[in-house]
Amino acid sequence: VKPPTVRLSINGQSRELAAVPPDERLLDTIRWRVGLKGTKEGCRTGECGACTVLREGKGALSCLVLTHDADGATITTIEGVGSDPVGAQVRTAFETAGALQCGYCTPGFVMALTGLLRERGRGAPIEELLEDLGGNLCRCTGYSTIVRAARSAREALP
Amino acid sequence: VSATSRPDGATKLAGAATYGEDVELPGMLWGALVMSPVPHGRLRSVDLAPARALPGVIAISAPDVPSLVDGRQGDPDRPPFPPDHVTYLHQPIAAVAAPSRPLARAAARSVRVTVDPLPVASDLDALFPEWPESKIDDPSRVAAHVLARRGDVERAFREGETIVAETYRTASVHQVALEPHACVADVREGVWRVRTSTQSPFGAREDTASILGLPEASIVVEGTWVGGGFGGKGAAFLEPYALLLSRAAGRPVRLALTYAEEFRLGRTTLPSVIRLETAVSKGEITGRRVRLLLDVGTSLPGRDFATGYSIGFLLGPYRTPAFEVEGYAVRTNKPPFGPHRAPFAPQAVFAVESHLESVARAAQLDPAAFKARHLWREGDRTPFGQRVLPFGLPSALESARATATRWRKDAPAGRGVGIGLGFWSTSTGAGGEARVTLTPTALVVVQGEREIGSGSVVVGLAQVVARRSGLPMEAIRIEHRDTAGAPFDAGVFGSRTVGALGRAIDEAVVQILHRLGDRVTPPGPVTLEFRDGHVMVVHGALRRPLAELLSPTEAAEGGLSAEGKHYGQGGEIDESLVRDGAFYPYTDFTGAAHVAEVEVDRETGSIRVRRYAAFHDAGVVLDLPSARAQIEGGVAMGLGAALTEEAIWSDDGRLENAGLVDYRIPTLGEIPPIEVHFIEGYPGAGPFGAKGLGEPPIIPVPATIAAAVRDACGAHVTELPLSPDRVAQDLKLR
Repeated sequence: VKPPTVRLSINGQSRELAAVPPDERLLDTIRWRVGLKGTKEGCRTGECGACTVLREGKGALSCLVLTHDADGATITTIEGVGSDPVGAQVRTAFETAGALQCGYCTPGFVMALTGLLRERGRGAPIEELLEDLGGNLCRCTGYSTIVRAARSAREALP
Repeated sequence: VSATSRPDGATKLAGAATYGEDVELPGMLWGALVMSPVPHGRLRSVDLAPARALPGVIAISAPDVPSLVDGRQGDPDRPPFPPDHVTYLHQPIAAVAAPSRPLARAAARSVRVTVDPLPVASDLDALFPEWPESKIDDPSRVAAHVLARRGDVERAFREGETIVAETYRTASVHQVALEPHACVADVREGVWRVRTSTQSPFGAREDTASILGLPEASIVVEGTWVGGGFGGKGAAFLEPYALLLSRAAGRPVRLALTYAEEFRLGRTTLPSVIRLETAVSKGEITGRRVRLLLDVGTSLPGRDFATGYSIGFLLGPYRTPAFEVEGYAVRTNKPPFGPHRAPFAPQAVFAVESHLESVARAAQLDPAAFKARHLWREGDRTPFGQRVLPFGLPSALESARATATRWRKDAPAGRGVGIGLGFWSTSTGAGGEARVTLTPTALVVVQGEREIGSGSVVVGLAQVVARRSGLPMEAIRIEHRDTAGAPFDAGVFGSRTVGALGRAIDEAVVQILHRLGDRVTPPGPVTLEFRDGHVMVVHGALRRPLAELLSPTEAAEGGLSAEGKHYGQGGEIDESLVRDGAFYPYTDFTGAAHVAEVEVDRETGSIRVRRYAAFHDAGVVLDLPSARAQIEGGVAMGLGAALTEEAIWSDDGRLENAGLVDYRIPTLGEIPPIEVHFIEGYPGAGPFGAKGLGEPPIIPVPATIAAAVRDACGAHVTELPLSPDRVAQDLKLR
């Protein structure tokens, strides 16, 4: 039996993906089937946050989502996050704060912070925001510049 | 563009940077390794038939290698697959490639491996219970032995007023770069090409050539963006396997580690046991004895420099009239020891700083004053007789002491403040070359390295050019080529990129400026400017577009080119002190003094770091935001090594915590505010007096935390990391 087709909207573009194996992960679908490599593969076990994407506007670890379970979902990746006003703001904040070094965790951080800010707006206390960002790991920066970027992205929200 | 933004920021933030993990070629197969099921054993058979029966699957093991490399013979000491004997768990013994990742995994699992298990050597204390009282004389265990002596050590200990002897133990720590090792090989028409996430394309080429027995000229290594290195991506690792698979398949093959494999196979810092003894008379150190047992796992021949280099750091940057140092690099059934940001220095410094704290306390002296009095100063001789170059550590310590005094005054009761010192020498001796072309619209640097994150390539090298030429960053392009197209460079390691490759580039820029200086009238020194997209040559009050100064040939070639080389020289040590093995001179003298304020829960032993300050001699700082960022990141990584990071190897050679939940690196909420200060006035060997800064920030951190914990609650933990159970246990015994 051929696995059924999966329908996804990725960065505003509708995709019909045929013959997706039932155990394929959304991370692999995005990277290797759709070909968007900006979403990073780190631990593949939900511990590092590098693969974070937006699913219906909220942060989701794409390594823990089976593609079939995301059938019909609206997905945003780092390649498309600039079209979201909050996402664009977050990217600018990361760039001006110099909040990246090797850059491998960066897409995951940008997506996670965009999801949190979209959900909570600028009313959210910064401490809560930072606590929830704690699920994303960075080995280069020691987080100081990332915290600065998160603060300024929150300040810049309308 | 803000002062802190990086030239690679926009690409990385757009998700457009291609890392080793992201490389995809048409018709590419997925590779996987077949790994040893035991930590030590005799390999009886590797049956690839079940894998080869799967559709589209290629499988190779040791007997297939000679024909794949056309009968050539690689280094017999490090074959890609062991022919008959495995020495660590998960050691690669075969490899497969398949049309999909799941099929590759299934094919790897299907290979039938038969091994007769042999006894496992893992724990240093269990292997040598009598050490250091008895010598280690089992040659099969000793990968390297080093011994050096100076002065009358016995007399110093016989006559010493205060003698302190202690034993320290340090844990195995992992680099934990977020991007696992990954590469894609494509062998065709006699060219062995591999795209890989590496800190050293030329190093990977050299290693691969040696492992496979191929001429270097037939191998092309193309570096990708690197998702963190920290020393773990310096040598060839997956490349030879991927190349062999591609040769066998006749198609490109991708090979990447899973994160669990990354932990299990990674070449990194392994455990050590350190014995330190110090004699003091009239407030002065008169004698030191240092004994080191360093686990080097499945040692790789030629890489046992670790012992001789590391043991020097156990003397500390302190005047020591008489000493004896002896170290053993011990083979165990673990993966090979490999470099991890400032290899073994945070561990050595933790031991020596904690020990000197004990010595000062025993002699009833103030520890910081005691250390300050013994610190090397410029012009002094190291214990190995090398002359100390400009060295800002004494001045950094003064600043750190002032901060510690202030913090002690305003810290709430129950908190502790500690100081730790770290000394380092960067690897500016390793050589580098670059080609520079000044075009009418840009200065273009062609070189062999890719950015690993620190900014040393995209920011550091560009800053060298900017300072020398006068051009702004937007007129400078740092370009990379693969090993077939770039001039040689040793690699992005040892904090050497700016100090060594930067010197090569600087030399080329200087040549170009000199040549231009001969073309202006009257001849004289020139600088460059960038106006409306054009390079202008500035000579006194005169400005001319570069285009007007180029010969027709140069104009046709696109501009004025020059090649720069830098092959640095280290200092010299007094070789008459060396009795066995090799010790190494330092190429420059850099260092830092750190201060931490901590709070310790006496019940649970858990430590909270409340604030942190770092005082660094980085010579002349070329880019302040990048330099600060290196220190903030290095301190965070050091906090991991101090508090939580420990790769736990069981007695039977298994890694018990091969994942990010059980091997805990610092998370966002655990990092205290970090003050960063630069101690200026002590230029190094790099361009404009720069010193390397990639490694130094991690070095003093475990020592600093240990000193602060001791100050807070009296706990003197002699083993890294300072986990809550160790702190609580120590407090209970006190």
